[in-house]
Amino acid sequence: MAEQLYNAVFIGSIYALFALGFALVFSVLDILNLAHPTVFMLGAFIALFVIGTLGLPWFVALPIAVLVTGLFGIALDRVAFAPLRRRGAPALSSMISSLAVTLIVVRLVELRYGGDFITFPAGAVPAFVFRVGDATFEGIRLAIVVLTIALMVVLTYVLRRTQLGRDLRALAENPRAARLLGVNVDRAIAATFFVSSALGGLAGVLLAFAYNTLDSKMGVPLELRAFTVMVVGGMGSLPGAVIGAYILGFGEVASLVYLPTELRDAFAFGLLFLVLVLRPTGLLGQKSRDRV
Amino acid sequence: MRSLAAVGLASALLVAACGGGAATPSANPASASATVAAPKPDIKIGLATAKSGAANFYNPQQSNGALLAVEQINAAGGIAGAKLQLIVEDDGSVRDQGITAFKKFIEQDKVVAILGPTLSAVAAGAHPVAQTAGVPVIAISNTGLGIVGTCPYGPCDWIFRASLGEQSAVPETVKAATQKLGLKKVVIIYGDGKFELDDLSIFKEAFKANGVTVSKEIAYTAKDVDFAPFVTQAKGETPDAIVASSLAGAAGKILDEVAKQMPGKRVIGGNGLNSASLLPNANAGLMVVGTAWSKASTDKTNTDFVAAYKTKFGTDPDQFAAQSYTAMIVLADALKRSGNPTDHAAVKKALEGVSSLATPLGAFSFTADHDVKQPTFVMTVKDGQFTPFQ
Amino acid sequence: MDAVLDFFRTYSTTIAIIGVSALLALSVWLTLYAGQLTLGNAAFMGVGAYVSALLGRHLDTPFPVALFLGAVSAAVLALPLGAIVFRLRGVYLAIATLAFGEIVRVILLATPITGKGQGLNGIPPKTELWHIYLSLAIVAYVLWRVQGSTIGRAWAAIREDEIASASQGIAVGRHKLAAFVIGALIAGWAGGLSAHVTFSIDPSDFGFAKAVQVLVFAVVGGIPNVLGPILGAGLFTALPELLRPLKDYRDIFQGTILLLVIIYLPRGLVTFVEVRRTRQLSRIGAADVA
Repeated sequence: MAEQLYNAVFIGSIYALFALGFALVFSVLDILNLAHPTVFMLGAFIALFVIGTLGLPWFVALPIAVLVTGLFGIALDRVAFAPLRRRGAPALSSMISSLAVTLIVVRLVELRYGGDFITFPAGAVPAFVFRVGDATFEGIRLAIVVLTIALMVVLTYVLRRTQLGRDLRALAENPRAARLLGVNVDRAIAATFFVSSALGGLAGVLLAFAYNTLDSKMGVPLELRAFTVMVVGGMGSLPGAVIGAYILGFGEVASLVYLPTELRDAFAFGLLFLVLVLRPTGLLGQKSRDRV
Repeated sequence: MRSLAAVGLASALLVAACGGGAATPSANPASASATVAAPKPDIKIGLATAKSGAANFYNPQQSNGALLAVEQINAAGGIAGAKLQLIVEDDGSVRDQGITAFKKFIEQDKVVAILGPTLSAVAAGAHPVAQTAGVPVIAISNTGLGIVGTCPYGPCDWIFRASLGEQSAVPETVKAATQKLGLKKVVIIYGDGKFELDDLSIFKEAFKANGVTVSKEIAYTAKDVDFAPFVTQAKGETPDAIVASSLAGAAGKILDEVAKQMPGKRVIGGNGLNSASLLPNANAGLMVVGTAWSKASTDKTNTDFVAAYKTKFGTDPDQFAAQSYTAMIVLADALKRSGNPTDHAAVKKALEGVSSLATPLGAFSFTADHDVKQPTFVMTVKDGQFTPFQ
Repeated sequence: MDAVLDFFRTYSTTIAIIGVSALLALSVWLTLYAGQLTLGNAAFMGVGAYVSALLGRHLDTPFPVALFLGAVSAAVLALPLGAIVFRLRGVYLAIATLAFGEIVRVILLATPITGKGQGLNGIPPKTELWHIYLSLAIVAYVLWRVQGSTIGRAWAAIREDEIASASQGIAVGRHKLAAFVIGALIAGWAGGLSAHVTFSIDPSDFGFAKAVQVLVFAVVGGIPNVLGPILGAGLFTALPELLRPLKDYRDIFQGTILLLVIIYLPRGLVTFVEVRRTRQLSRIGAADVA
């Protein structure tokens, strides 16, 4: 039982780590970035490239992957979102353009690495393991759990207490007003995408390390979970996303233990549906936004 | 000189397009006689394979196996002087594209036979097309139920299978595992796709036949990322082994979890575990899987195949390559014996007569149901290679 | 000429799928026209597909009746959905409809009679091309005429400004529900038709990927004109087949085309049909909304 609890915490952390970047972009720019699973995957593959092709150790690969995906995020905005923003296009268009980018990038990765999953070169990935009595704990999984919470704290602090955070919140409220008030909107948006994508890339690298494998489609299962997580926790709220993630993680493991197996999937979506109907703003959301 | 040939070719094409296209999609004698020189016309074969989409990891091996075979056959003189031409189309891992690929082969390319498609779910739509048109098909990687013999869409006598069905392989695996591991109780962890569900029912039957209890069946979905909870659940039943009715990606994670949570226990699996991508997995040694092909087999046909593949493509072949290669040489054998290698009915009859043909998979025959009859190799992994399970 | 016949026979399935996709795109178009964003129509398509196929298989229901019942089942299922999600808008509504769709799909996966994950195989290919294109013509015509009707104008008003419409006495709730239900009806009908084209269906045909695909057809095709979704469906269904010569690079081209269209054609593919009107609207900055 305790073991399942730990499993639930770990799963919750994966969802949270993935959802943080996703939620950040939505909370600031009201965009559902459907290319987020792709930066997630990209982070993992950049790490693979650095380790496998450049022969560098994992602790060099990790920061490089995070940095490069962050920069990719800025490029993503320039190519797929900024033109639509300038035109005042509805959010739906942004969703579709991010989808298009996903198609292209995934295919490019597959052309280089194939569609099958790849294992890291032996010994390349850190594998700290320690035992407590009967149970085995992997260092990397613990690291993910700890990092997720730490990142949530750091991000919340940045948003509440720093100038950048204030700029972002102003931007989220009203872009035009923010610009009039002297906020460097372009820089704030670039920062948003950098951080969001870097988070996504970090999640990708860590997960690839945790399983010692990666593949071009690794972001897909997490994408749908991310919707649930954001809605349950409150769209636009970062702590909310994290809490939503843990609720989902615990719920999934609980339904595995207690429910007939075929209905497990229905749990996640049933929960989502219920929250949307009873409390659309989610647990910690501020207000619902009108958008088509 | 060149313009003359061009005119000749153009008129040949014109004749073929307008005059020759009768209802029967067999080769057109009119075009043969209209060409300038007279090599025998190529015998066309279609290969529908997943180069993109969810199953794209079957390539390039699946295409390469067939290409190698065609190259070798042509180098040895082809079929009574006529060369084989392999036309490869991407089925996109989706039914619609698989159907269109088959239709293109049948209506436009006028092939004599088709290999593929990759996935059983795509075959469910594509095979009936060939059946209706009366074109022989050899399935090279469909291992589920309802592909040959008794098919859900009605008669399927034009469909043959060269890929060892799970119905044949799994009982062998279960028998070997039960005997060598002394199994009394197992837990099955299975996915929600067609392959995994077919495998589940076949495994259950096989275990029952061997007197082993399946104390729990745990389902996961394509959206699950972490497999620790599933193995933890399974652990609670204290089974003698875990059965993974999965595809390779999930299987890899299950192997890791079992190694972590249930040291000493092994993982029995179906064809999904039969993947080169699992070989680097540190815990691959835990698996017990029935395969259609053993690279270590010392049959000359196999060692020649492995060497030739490595020379041409630079890597070792895997089971998909071995199966597509085998299907091609089986087809070539049938074409030679058919007496009329462009007539569908003759080729079909010849295919039925394939008996103990030497292939990399061993001695190959078709059963009365057009299914492959070959030995099952029950394997595990050692030192990064598939090795026989002892 | 035989080459033409061969071409036609080869691509008959593709042409059928284009027709079905166009119907689906129209079903989404309708709800978008009323200002509602929905990702649930793939699930309604699935309901129509399964119901009509199962009725045919187990009860020997004649084809048109089975199709009709499939569509009606989908519409009936849309009723509770519509009522529940009244209070949601925009992205929230989209996600709620998506969640609903996924729940339907999971139930399909769990019900034994549907064949569960193994899907329903060996469905007799009863659909003819003329069934599909006649349906498409009728639906397109009706929707085109509806635009100028009372209910159509009510929908347009709701799309522009819900609160103002309500204050004008328009029964906003009921109109929204009507859009959902009719959309579901069309999607269910399309589902029944498509099930009898490709011999087999399984729950993964009707998931998130499909829902997004249908939405793309409608949006990229263009909202202002009934022709839009049809163009969108046509182009993007045909594209994989058209791009076959590009082999491994197909997806890259498809993504690039999608990206270019969504960024540079605010009114979607309809721009090519209504060139002058688009130019006028762009000049006054109203290209996206009208």
